[in-house]
Amino acid sequence: MPFRHLFFLLVLTALSNALPTAAESADSVSASSFAAPKRPNIVLVLADDLGFSDLGSYGGEINTPNLDAIAEEGLRFSNYHTAANCAPARAMLLTGVDAHLAGVPNIPEMLPPELQQYEHYQGVLGDNVVTVATLLEDAGYHTYLAGKWHLGAGPGKLPSQRGFERTVALADSGADNWEQRPYIPLYDKANWYADGEPYQLPDDFYSSRFLVDKTIEFIDGNLADGEPFFAYLPLQAVHIPVQAPQTYIDRYRGVYQEGWDVLREARRSRSIELGLVPPDTDMVRMSTTDDWSVLSDEQRRYESKRMAVYGAMVEAMDHHLGRLFDHLKSVDEYDNTLIIFTSDNGAEASGSADPLSFAARQVPTSLGYNLDYESLGLKGSYNTISPSFASAAASPLSLFKFYAGEGGMRVPLIITGPSVSKAGEISHAFSFVTDITPTLLSFAGVTAPNDRYRGRAVEAVIGKDLTPLITGEVDRVYNETDSIGYELAGHAALFQGDYKLLFTRGALGDGHWHLYDIVRDPGETLDLAQEQPARMQAMLSAYQRYARENKVLEVPEGYSHTKQLLINVVYHQFKTPALIAMLTALILLPFWVAYRMKKRST
Amino acid sequence: MKRVFSFVVSLLAVLFIVMGVRWLIAPDGIAPEFGLILGDGLGLSSQIGDMSGYFLFLGISMLLGVVTGHRPWFYAAAILLSLTAVGRTIAWLIHDAALASQIRSEIVIAVLLLIASRVLGEDD
Repeated sequence: MPFRHLFFLLVLTALSNALPTAAESADSVSASSFAAPKRPNIVLVLADDLGFSDLGSYGGEINTPNLDAIAEEGLRFSNYHTAANCAPARAMLLTGVDAHLAGVPNIPEMLPPELQQYEHYQGVLGDNVVTVATLLEDAGYHTYLAGKWHLGAGPGKLPSQRGFERTVALADSGADNWEQRPYIPLYDKANWYADGEPYQLPDDFYSSRFLVDKTIEFIDGNLADGEPFFAYLPLQAVHIPVQAPQTYIDRYRGVYQEGWDVLREARRSRSIELGLVPPDTDMVRMSTTDDWSVLSDEQRRYESKRMAVYGAMVEAMDHHLGRLFDHLKSVDEYDNTLIIFTSDNGAEASGSADPLSFAARQVPTSLGYNLDYESLGLKGSYNTISPSFASAAASPLSLFKFYAGEGGMRVPLIITGPSVSKAGEISHAFSFVTDITPTLLSFAGVTAPNDRYRGRAVEAVIGKDLTPLITGEVDRVYNETDSIGYELAGHAALFQGDYKLLFTRGALGDGHWHLYDIVRDPGETLDLAQEQPARMQAMLSAYQRYARENKVLEVPEGYSHTKQLLINVVYHQFKTPALIAMLTALILLPFWVAYRMKKRST
Repeated sequence: MKRVFSFVVSLLAVLFIVMGVRWLIAPDGIAPEFGLILGDGLGLSSQIGDMSGYFLFLGISMLLGVVTGHRPWFYAAAILLSLTAVGRTIAWLIHDAALASQIRSEIVIAVLLLIASRVLGEDD
């Protein structure tokens, strides 16, 4: 009996000791089972005017090892489309709403006065849309922006008032990459802002380096609190003026001396090899492409250097992005960061075919730039690429920035990070710029507002969440009947299934609708309008519905974006002197009358 | 002689009026020419109001002198310019301001206006 008693006591003691441990253990299991995993950080990198085949992983000869590495780790999109120019693309990217409804149907610099009288044609992000930054900030994310904003600089329009906690932002359509200098006479100065206040760039500024440094500074500033971050990095590379450090330029000496046709063909072959486009992809030869063989040796040398600076600027961008990725690894955040790399629109072809001609020299020289061969791309130099080399940057696609052809709208999109299960694969599924916002929100576990946000009416997000595509659950998110409309200054497109309806006006278009199968014919070489009249009609009706629902306005007769930009520049430059002259004349008029009367009376 | 003085005084008057109008319409363009940084609120109001008023008065009074031949209009403009030059000198002597090169022009024009009052002025 005493032995049994002792045994019972021992068991009781053992149980009493074990119970709290078990309870603690149960608590700990429960905590680890139900604690929310840390939400992913998001880094959204937006290149400016990058052509479809500029990156190594997209068929280009430019050395881009860091972006190629994230392409190998993640998913590349071969059929991703954005807007054909800057601000509308950025508006759709950051809101998931069509650019017309978001208040940015075109950049303000190119809007004709006839359209500027409409509230949604101001070229400034409206208050009727909510940015992804605002929604992520609401959800506890730190939100940063370092780079080009171009969605408004008036009261309430800077990024610091549109959901970004820390910012250093360029309000203009572009600016110099080496110093605080405007690149077109439309601006009196390059308008940079930091956290909502005018900002003076440092003396050692080079755009890609500076913007990556700022992003790292912002990220590090709040790393200790453990909250996730959303870093938006809209780079200036490779927007006009095309500029790069000398060390990078030296690497591309002689690379482009065979000319643009050879380069366009080489890139087509390489993008076929990579599986980005079908093996039988054909190309058009654009009417803006000159004949390389008729150029003098001096002209070829100059053209090659222009393109070499372009390649150098892309490589410099890649190098600095590599620094950002390395930094994320060093602070142990890389594996929990969703990285998205894309471009705002396709390759830019606004550079003159003859930049040394009297007419082409006027704008750069009026801004104090030089066009010397030796210093091309360096500080104080104004460089662009010609429409001919832009056709190579867009290879194997047709047309470029400002046009709704594939060359203007189809750009690289790379997504890598946690949950991206298709490492190194290429997705041929159609996707659109409005899909980025819902995708980011989905990764962050945030729900987009339907039609109201904080008591005010807002436009609903139209984009689709690409997460099922990224995680490998589905092969496409748009079905055969979904249609995506697009319009820019009278150029228009409608995507439906594998097909695209295209309308190009002005000098590069014929003013007729065309139908292309952009999956089998991404080069838009074979018009199917006659062959498939029923599809053509159905898609035309869908476009008309899109235009009506999104309040698309027709551009004035004879409108041309380059002409309008010139008019707006002249208006900007001479508006004030004209007003001063008029008011002075008004003041002087009575004196002149009095003087004449006095003279007559004597 | 009268014609030459009429022309010179009228030209200067127009220049002053243009400066006044520039202060009204595009103050950010002309402010740096005077070493000024535009303020805001009351400061901006004072800068635009005072500077435009100064130059418009100067120009208009000179033109009134030319057109009417009344000497007091030349005197008024000359006094204004002379006082400006005096003010600049005091600013340099007492307040450590720069000795502005504009003083020379102001004195020269003030003297010119006094001579113009003799040449162009008419007896009542």
